[in-house]
Formats: sequence, C-alpha cells, structure tokens
Amino acid sequence: MTRQIKSNNVDSADIVIVGNGISGLTAAVEARRLAPDRRIVMITKQNHPTINTPALKQFAIGKLTREQLLAYPAGTERAQRIHVINARVEEIHAQSNYISLTGGRGFGYESLLIATGSIATGLPTNLPGRDFDGVLTLHRLNDYLDMRRRLSEVEDAVVVGGGLHAIETVVSLLYWGIRVHWLVRSDTFLPRMLDRPASDLVLERIRRAGAKVYTETEIIGVVGRVGSVIGVITNQHQFLPCQLVLVCTGTTPVTTLATHCDLPMKCKRGILVDDQLRTSVRNIYAAGDVAALKDPQIGEYAPRAQWYAAVLQGRIAAAAMTGSAVPEEGFGVPWHATRMGELSVLTVGNPLQWRDTATTLRDSSKGSYRRVSIVDDRLVGYLSLGSSQPDGLAIKRLIDEGYSIRHIKMALLKGKFDARKYFSHQRTYAAHYMVSTGKLPSPGTVEPPLQTQPLVGTLRETGPLASPSEVITYNGAKSEVYTNPLRNTYIHFAPIQRMSDAILDESEALFFERGFAPVQAMHQLQDKPNIIESTLVSLPSNKPRRTSGSLWSYSDKLPTVKAKRENSQFIAPAPIHRDAQTFTDSAKNQSAASSVSDTKELEHPNTRIYPTSSLWSYTDKQVAVKKGH
Amino acid sequence: MLKTGFESGANSVVMLHKTVPQVAQELHACIGCNECLLACPAATDSITIDVLNRETLAGPISVPVARFARSCYQCGACIAPCPVGLHRDAMMMWLKVRMLRSGWGE
Repeated sequence: MTRQIKSNNVDSADIVIVGNGISGLTAAVEARRLAPDRRIVMITKQNHPTINTPALKQFAIGKLTREQLLAYPAGTERAQRIHVINARVEEIHAQSNYISLTGGRGFGYESLLIATGSIATGLPTNLPGRDFDGVLTLHRLNDYLDMRRRLSEVEDAVVVGGGLHAIETVVSLLYWGIRVHWLVRSDTFLPRMLDRPASDLVLERIRRAGAKVYTETEIIGVVGRVGSVIGVITNQHQFLPCQLVLVCTGTTPVTTLATHCDLPMKCKRGILVDDQLRTSVRNIYAAGDVAALKDPQIGEYAPRAQWYAAVLQGRIAAAAMTGSAVPEEGFGVPWHATRMGELSVLTVGNPLQWRDTATTLRDSSKGSYRRVSIVDDRLVGYLSLGSSQPDGLAIKRLIDEGYSIRHIKMALLKGKFDARKYFSHQRTYAAHYMVSTGKLPSPGTVEPPLQTQPLVGTLRETGPLASPSEVITYNGAKSEVYTNPLRNTYIHFAPIQRMSDAILDESEALFFERGFAPVQAMHQLQDKPNIIESTLVSLPSNKPRRTSGSLWSYSDKLPTVKAKRENSQFIAPAPIHRDAQTFTDSAKNQSAASSVSDTKELEHPNTRIYPTSSLWSYTDKQVAVKKGH
Repeated sequence: MLKTGFESGANSVVMLHKTVPQVAQELHACIGCNECLLACPAATDSITIDVLNRETLAGPISVPVARFARSCYQCGACIAPCPVGLHRDAMMMWLKVRMLRSGWGE
C-alpha cells in the first residue's frame, strides 16, 4: 500500500469531506471502496472518532462501554487511507474549487461533501439560569459523558422537550431509578408524528413507568444555589426541585458553510439537495443531518436527522462523488423506529399528512395502536405502537415501491405482517405474469392498473436544484422531466429495475447451492432473466391466492407451468447460463450439462424439490419428528 | 471445493430468512445499541457490534467473530430487544454462510 498523502504537504484532494459523523465516514469508506486510488480527506473539528450516536443513551446509563460506541472498528480511517485533518472549515470558494481552513490555509477539492451535521437547539438564550451547573443540552458525546458522571448523585431530574430524543432520555433516567419530571410544550406528544390516541398511549405508558409528565408546560427559569441547579420554574407557576436539567429540544442543521460560500447555495432548514445529494453549487454535495431532502409524499424539503438516513446518504454521496452507480435503494419516505421502555414505536411515511385523501384504518387492541393510511390500495403511511416492533424496513419498501396492500390490510393493521411471505408472493405473481405474457412486468401490470393517477410513486429522481439561470452547472435535461410534481408519479422504468432486484433475490438460492458469493456474482446476472428457475409459479387463476394453499397445490400445478415455460417466447431466446460451464460443481452432479438448453432443463429437479424455504423446513421437521418417536 | 455446509449433496440449497440485499440494508440501519448482544445467551467473547457488523457485511472474518457465529444457535432472543426492529438472526445466518464459504467451516 503506497501512502500517496503525506501529512504535512497536503493541499488538495480528490474528495474532501467536512465532518466525521456517520454520513461523512460512511461516504469516505464507501468512496474508498468505489475509487481505490482517489485521495480522500476528511476535515473535522470533532476530537473523537465516529460513534453510534443513537446508542449514546445506552452509554449514559452504563449499558455500553465507550469502546462499544464506535461506529466503525478503531483504525478504520488509517486502514482505508482516509486522511483526517483536525481543523475547522471557514469558507468555500466554489468558483475556484477550494476551501479555507482556520488560519487562512487553503485546501483544494474536486468534490466536496458537507456533512457537518446538526447542533442542539438548546434552551432559549435569554432564559434565566440557563448556565447553572447541571443544565445539560444532550447532543454530543461530551454531553453524555457529563451526564453519565452526574447520574449517581441525582435523585430528581427535569427533561425538557417533546420529541423522541426527550422520551428516550426519560426512559433511560427511569431505568437508572431517577424521579423524572418531563416538560412537554404541546398538549400531545409528537403532534406531527403521532395522532392523539397514539400520543395518549405513549404518555400513559410513560406515566405508568413512573415519570411525571407535564403537558403544555414550558420552562421559564432555572433556579440555582451557589452555581448549581436546585430546581426549575415552569409557566404553570410550579417549582420543580431537581439536580439535573436535561434539554432535548431538537436539533438545527449546521448550515454556516452554505452561507460562507461564494456562490449562492440553496438553504432552508438545511442545505437543499437532490436525489444524488448535489447541492445547488457544482461539485458540492451535502449529506446527513445538514442535508434537506425532498419528501416524496408531501414534496417539502426537510432534513432527516435519523441514523439509517444518514448512512444511506453517505453511501449515495460517495457514489455520486466517484461517478459510480447510485445504490438502488433510494431515499423513499421517512422511516423512524424506536423503543421507549416496553413500547415500540414505528412510523413510516407521513401517516398524519393524508387526512382528507386517504382511507385510514385504526386498531387499538391489546394495549397497542396502529394506524394505516391507504390511497388506492397503496400504503402511504403507517404508524404502530406496541410491545413488538414490526419489520419497518419492509413496510417502508411497501410504500416506496407502491405495492398493492389489498390482501394484507388486516395483517398490517394487526401488526402481523409477514414481510418474507409477502415479498416472495409478489415475486411469484411477477414470475407468473412473465410466464403467461412473455413480457417484463411492472407493478402497474401485475396488479390491475389504477384508474386514477397514483398520489405516490417511486421517486428516483428529483432533478437538479439549480435554477434555470444557473443551468450551466448541470446538463440534466433528462432529470428535468421529473421535476414537475404533478407528473412526478409513476416512472415506469423504475419498477422494471426493481424487478431485476427481485430476480437477484430469487437467484440467491441458486448461487448458494453452487457455493458462489452472490455479491460477486450478481453483476453477471443482470441481463439473465432466469428467475423462473427458482421461482414457484402458480397457475393462472382469477381467484386471489390463499397463502396456505401454495405448499399443497404446488406439485400438481407444476407440469402445466412447465409446459407454459417451454411455449413462452420470453424464456426461449433468453441467453440463460452463458457461464454455465463455470457452475461445474452442481452441473457434474446432474449428469452431463453439455449444452445451454440442457442446463436449463436440468434446473428443474431443484426447483421441484425445494420450492420455498417453508417447504424446506417443513420436510426437515417431519422427518425429525418421525425419528424422534 | 466450497460447501454450503448444510448438506453437500447435489440439491442442497441454503435459504436465508432475508435476502442478502435486505440483510445489508438492515446492517446499515443498525444503530449499534448493543441490545441484541446483551440479550444473546450465546455471546461469550466481548465482541463489539461495529466489528460484528463490518465482518458480517464483507471482508475477512476474525477469530472472535467466527467463534461467536459458531456458538450462535439461532434462538432469536436478539430480535425482540432491537429498538429499530431489525433481524439479527438473519444477519447471523448470513455471517455463517460467509464463514463456511471462506473456509471457516473446516
């Protein structure tokens, strides 16, 4: 490994990343993977390596050690040849592609990623007593180290703030056995995310867990004695004695760099970015808490201060900066999952934004609450509170890819949605469609197409942010097609790309069988529609399929399907198994695989014996039971 | 020759709880709170979640992680405590598949 960068004479780099939060480091590591010989520099003023910020609450109450906080193994930066500079970036000179650090030192870049994150909003600056010892704004590692040191001598604590951060702090303090007074400004908890029944459920659980909740209450002053806190005064004219005041009033994106840039950078509650995380200035990208992404459902730009969003943005920014293919996942709708003691909370999409247009189903049985918002058989928002956490990423996928939920409404409502079963069925439908029509499917054709224009769709491209006058910076003529929100509904090539994903998923079984690593072999599969080989295909039927029927109906339906396969014009000319010769391991076992068409036929025994994972375990278990008795 | 480890017969197929892209997505969504390892009845070494995640995703597998993967018996105790609803069991299964492929199974 040759060190191209020496610490003293660095004055430019191909990729410069400002900030070493999770977005910044993810982008750096990903960029290194995509571009092994670029010079990557990360400039930060933080004095510690990247940590798992959501785990800080567990750290504060002693469930984690400091080493366990690290987001990447220690020494990742050095191992990945990411040069870290401890400095502060003062200005961006976008016209001449360099930034200036503290002390006037210049630093050139080819692509610049702003991942400066956010700062805590904290208490109002004019609040009396806000600087007493014991008033902590929880945001950074230092704050939590401070809190952790104090907890053993605290009996009462006041938590200020009405968000998830605040409630997680309340739960942590309760776990530690501290009496908690929780001040919430509005009359419900998280009014933008939860409706009233959900909020009531949360507050009632928190009260039952032992916290005192004060709604419509704000702090108007902190009382101290000889420099440290002894209590707070609220706008309800109460005095709450406490030794610790924890402020969790939300975060603000650090957009100072956007204003210290010589070209105008669009910035409003965060730096506005498009789906490739490009800002409105050429060669400058933004990711993480500082970036404001467009919500595909409501069309507003807002930062997503959330862990997974930050990781994903880091990866996408790296792909954009290195000129590689952007990861398929896309941002989609917001997704947030957390646990508050015994209560798991999940929100996907914007369950409350669809009051008039969407059908809303509610279920509040067994101490849980679910709210499902549906527009035209498509899920648009999901809210779930209960003792167990549903598969949130799968539900996000339902929304992002616009699957019909006609048959799983009840499962979603009851929190019994089985993602694995559902998605394997989706693939089966798609394969069935391909077999019977010989065309590549899109969701609109597998399910009957919608009469109305769908309100939501896969939003792959939001187009560049540059206004027409700055259009020189982009030549994105193609992108502009999708900038009109009214037309920004279904992009038909996207679902087709998604199908190729489904093909990959389904083909894993084949790869495993041959001892191939799917990751390495996947790209070989891109153009090969051999999904049929491993997919269970049902007969064409007008009736909706029953889930339990698949196991039994399989064997007698297969011959028909097989006949269909051979007649299908889709299958016949497909260049299946171009590299069949490399699959020698299993090919040998299946007698002679001489020609391409033979190999295709020989796939059948596998398919017939192990159609789904459920059948796999089914047969295994039966045998075991018999042996046992 | 590489084996899947479950059965080296001609028809052996390994089915995962989740597909590999989904496992990768969940690994990226992991917030590193350590709850799954705290709940784990099989965790013996003091392994950290960052190392476990990186090595599950890609790259070489170190000795402590391999030992942990061997002692994991897929009991599922890690799923319920996850605050973000991820499936550590699927990740462990994928780690085991990777391990067997890279020669740890011998």
